[in-house]
Amino acid sequence: MAIPILVFSTDKTRGKLFSRIIESNGFNAKLYNNSADLDYAVRTRRPHIIVFDARHCQPREFQLVESFPGRFPDAEIILITSAAELPSFISAGFKGENCFSDPINPEEISLKVKEIYFIKNKAFLRIKTYFVLLGVLLKGIFSGDRDNPYIVFTKKIILAGAAALSVMVGIAGGFIFYSMSDLPKVQLLESYAPFESSFLYAADGTELAEFYLERRKFVPFYKIPKHVKQAFIAVEDARFYEHHGIDFIRTFGAFVNNLRAGDTVQGGSTITQQLAKMLFLTPEKSLSRKIKEAAISMQIESRYKKDEILGFYLNQAYFGARAYGIEAASQTYFGKKTEDLGVADAAMLAALPKAPSVYSPFTNPKKALIRRNLSLKSMLDRGFIDRQAYAAAVKEPVPEYVNRKKYTAPYFVEYIRSAMEQKFGDRLYTAGFKIYTTLDLPLQKKAEKATADGRAAFAKAGLGDVEAALIAVDLKTGAIKAMVGGSNYQKSQFNKATQAARQTGSVFKPIVYLTAFKNGYSPDDMIDDMEVTYSSSDGRQQWTPHNYTRKYYGRVTLRTALSHSLNAATVALANIVGMDKVISTARTIGITSNIYPHLPAAIGVSEMTLLELTYAYTTFANGKSFIPMVYEKITDRYNIKVEDNAPKGVQTIDPANIAKMHDVLGAVVTEGTSVAAKSLNRTVYGKTGTTNDYKDAWFIGFDDNMTVGVWVGRDNNRPIGEGMSGSRAALPIWINFMKED
Amino acid sequence: MSDKNDDAKAAVNQKGPEKAKEIEHFGGPIGLDIGTTNIVSARTRGSSVHITKQLNAFFTVPASKITGMTLLKNDVLYFSQGGSYYIIGNAADTFANTFNTDTRRPVESGLLSAKEDEALNVIQSIIKTLVPPPKNQGDLVCYSIPGDPIDTKISVLHHDTILKRTLQDMGYTAIAINEGFAVIMSELADESYTGIGISMGGGMCNVCFSYLSVPVFSYSIQKGGDYVDAMVGAAVGESQTRIKLIKEKELNLLKDPKNKIETSLSIYYEDLLETLILSIQRVVTTSESVPRLTKPISVVLSGGTAMPVGVREKFEKLLKANRLPLQFSSVRMAEDPLNTTAKGALQLAIAEEK
Ligand SMILES: Nc1ncnc2c1ncn2[C@@H]1O[C@H](COP(=O)(O)OP(=O)(O)OP(=O)(O)O)[C@@H](O)[C@H]1O
Ligand SMILES: [Mg+2]
Repeated sequence: MAIPILVFSTDKTRGKLFSRIIESNGFNAKLYNNSADLDYAVRTRRPHIIVFDARHCQPREFQLVESFPGRFPDAEIILITSAAELPSFISAGFKGENCFSDPINPEEISLKVKEIYFIKNKAFLRIKTYFVLLGVLLKGIFSGDRDNPYIVFTKKIILAGAAALSVMVGIAGGFIFYSMSDLPKVQLLESYAPFESSFLYAADGTELAEFYLERRKFVPFYKIPKHVKQAFIAVEDARFYEHHGIDFIRTFGAFVNNLRAGDTVQGGSTITQQLAKMLFLTPEKSLSRKIKEAAISMQIESRYKKDEILGFYLNQAYFGARAYGIEAASQTYFGKKTEDLGVADAAMLAALPKAPSVYSPFTNPKKALIRRNLSLKSMLDRGFIDRQAYAAAVKEPVPEYVNRKKYTAPYFVEYIRSAMEQKFGDRLYTAGFKIYTTLDLPLQKKAEKATADGRAAFAKAGLGDVEAALIAVDLKTGAIKAMVGGSNYQKSQFNKATQAARQTGSVFKPIVYLTAFKNGYSPDDMIDDMEVTYSSSDGRQQWTPHNYTRKYYGRVTLRTALSHSLNAATVALANIVGMDKVISTARTIGITSNIYPHLPAAIGVSEMTLLELTYAYTTFANGKSFIPMVYEKITDRYNIKVEDNAPKGVQTIDPANIAKMHDVLGAVVTEGTSVAAKSLNRTVYGKTGTTNDYKDAWFIGFDDNMTVGVWVGRDNNRPIGEGMSGSRAALPIWINFMKED
Repeated sequence: MSDKNDDAKAAVNQKGPEKAKEIEHFGGPIGLDIGTTNIVSARTRGSSVHITKQLNAFFTVPASKITGMTLLKNDVLYFSQGGSYYIIGNAADTFANTFNTDTRRPVESGLLSAKEDEALNVIQSIIKTLVPPPKNQGDLVCYSIPGDPIDTKISVLHHDTILKRTLQDMGYTAIAINEGFAVIMSELADESYTGIGISMGGGMCNVCFSYLSVPVFSYSIQKGGDYVDAMVGAAVGESQTRIKLIKEKELNLLKDPKNKIETSLSIYYEDLLETLILSIQRVVTTSESVPRLTKPISVVLSGGTAMPVGVREKFEKLLKANRLPLQFSSVRMAEDPLNTTAKGALQLAIAEEK
């Protein structure tokens, strides 16, 4: 770039800084420290851009800079001054968008210089590009491949009417001009800004996880092995070293194919064109975008060498698995540096940018293997590798997913990550947020141990592959303090605590009793526990709920009915208060899953997540409904608070009914199905749940500090094992976790 | 007058054969670190950097024929002046130890000593043992000078000019490099010469902040290893030499101090680091030139005083506790802390040559 940018500052250090900032963007900067020199330089060089540092300037220098806009209307002046003096410059006629205040902001200045430079050069580039485009168009048509049917066909048509041709060229030209009015900046390719990752912290400040886009080091072209470059050329753009940025034959072929198919099915993009696409922020497939991309492609081709272009492409391309650029991709997929990639590795990577998720070796190893071998075949066909190398490479396996970063509390981390991604989008990976979570690490360790112990006990009893999930919620704040979503995150990322909706069995029952209490009942009131057959309102369906033990107790108190988990009595109660009321109670305490609107729902046929049930029990404990809370605050990269997440509990049960819930849920432990919990030697409350054929075992309960929910079951929804009820399978884990050590 | 000077030259030139070889000329530019404790020279030899150094100290003994012969026989560097032999460089230490006293120093708190009349002579003599005459008139030597001390009116101009003249008189083209910036030149090439370089030496600590190789600010504080030795010595009633020995041999700031010397050492180290960080905070917040950076930068520590285990950690902790408008990615130790400055000076000399 020959045209220099003039920099003026009376302060040597600041002047050097500005020059260096400009030079680091690939421009030439010429520094002046006194106004006479500057004046002379401006008069003789007539620069496009003057960077003027107004700090510590004398009236003489002010006068000089103020004279520039009048004397040199073509020059753009970027002015830097103190915040206090900024307004006076703007009111003196300097463009506000070109005026900056201290502290010196290199990014801002770089961007501005690039922007102005580009605008200044655009008119020139536009005309040049236009002619090149037209040239390529005509060359393609008239000297094009004789065997290419599209071209022969086109030629015929065009030769049929020369008049039509000139009209077409005219229209095309106009369209090209119109399309090129707002091109992005090619120089952006040279700037390589690493993203800033976001961090997740536990309640005690320990780092839990880092969220980032894989975009490591920029690898200069000469460091990329030859076979890696060849792999990409073979797969993406075999004529890369021959064409001028757009491969006319390919583009036209694709165009006709798309016309035939009536849709965009084929991309005719060269590597340069793909690189051009990356300069646009959003993808688009319109014709005007195509022309813009072509124009940019040619700008790229005229500005950079082929090798540089391939280098830019490899550093910018997206390879899936959040890996941007070849270095990140080789690390992500192979745990290697780009320099160390083998032939098979290179062929695998070359297959990815087209459809990173489809051909991902992590998620679709079979498709990936086929695709990789196709790449190898292309390399062989083009003579990039010999038979021997080919034969050796096809035998290599595709990489398997290895989690190179192990998180503590992986399910929790993933839970919060997806929530944060919904909130911030991609910024989560680039903007450098710090997220302070509510996870209590010692408790988390305890939770992991309790579930692991539980699973070990099942294994000992000959029951393998049993899963256990646990959630602990702080009663005061509604914050999640521990979460176990499964036994092995590597094997299954499916979170059994938050994502698995399972039949609830009896853990749902307390909602029926709460509904009764809200309607004036109390724990000492009596209800019939006997076999009754219920009919649907149209009389077509009949249903007889049975007790678990097949024993019926006649008239019992509500307390006994719940603490002994009597199905018949509970359905009878639900029948009296009405299922619609039960469902509306469930909604007020935070159950969001679908609830079957008929009586069987009273004894838990609907499916719910451990998360929502644990929060429902939190409401039984203190009357408050919480939205699950997983973080306390979020700050940005400058440690400035973005969000303060204060506990947001809403009182949904009044104190009298809280007392009644404590009464009945306490009885479960003192006299009912969960007497084993007495071993804790303190007052606790809760309820077991067991579903048909022992597919799910639940225990959800609370003490004075937290609510803890435990679920046990299998991923494939098969029975856990004979007799594995809530009190046998889930309660021991719960007790183990609640034990004081 | 001229008589004395000739005398000095004569003795220095009569070095033993080994010493003579040591300073044999490989040609090419030279980096020179003239510190309170050491003078270090760096040159390229093939693709590697070759380091030679001398203590920046001297010791006088009464002149006599026998002494003179013994000194010569043992390849001891000295010159004679006013009825005394001035033993210079590494040997001074050996002699001081034998006589159970301290060496004397031509440089104090980073600058040419005003107390010692022969300071300049001594320095020139030591420099000549490390820097041979230039191969070609105008060969480049880049020498380090401290930044202007913060908080005092002292300027480094005198010190700088005298050193420049000395080197020019030898036939070199001499360019100065700020000591802190030399740390950046030698350690932060991979980070586009952006970051903070700190040299913690005997007499002072030098600090420089550079952005894209522009030194945005540089300064020094006149506290360093000597200060720690002196303060601890006074506090516990021990000789400075003994404190220095203990400090260099076994100080570990990560461990709880075991005795009063260690306690006192950790107190004065803490004081030194605190002073250093407060000074950085003050300069960064008042400078008009510090750019607003979105990326965190590195801090590199070098110099002998940064070497004890735990200095880096303590520094990092204190830095994080202070609010600064810069973000730091890491505080790390220079690769070769005692030679960082000389290597950085060499880097600049090489760059200037091209
Ligand atoms: N291993 C060590 N542990 C602690 N201190 C050390 C160690 N080695 C050297 N020192 C101290 O470092 C100082 C000398 O360091 P250095 O050679 O970097 O200083 P200098 O460059 O001569 O001095 P200055 O830069 O202040 O002019 C002395 O105070 C010495 O006691
Ligand atoms: Mg030093």
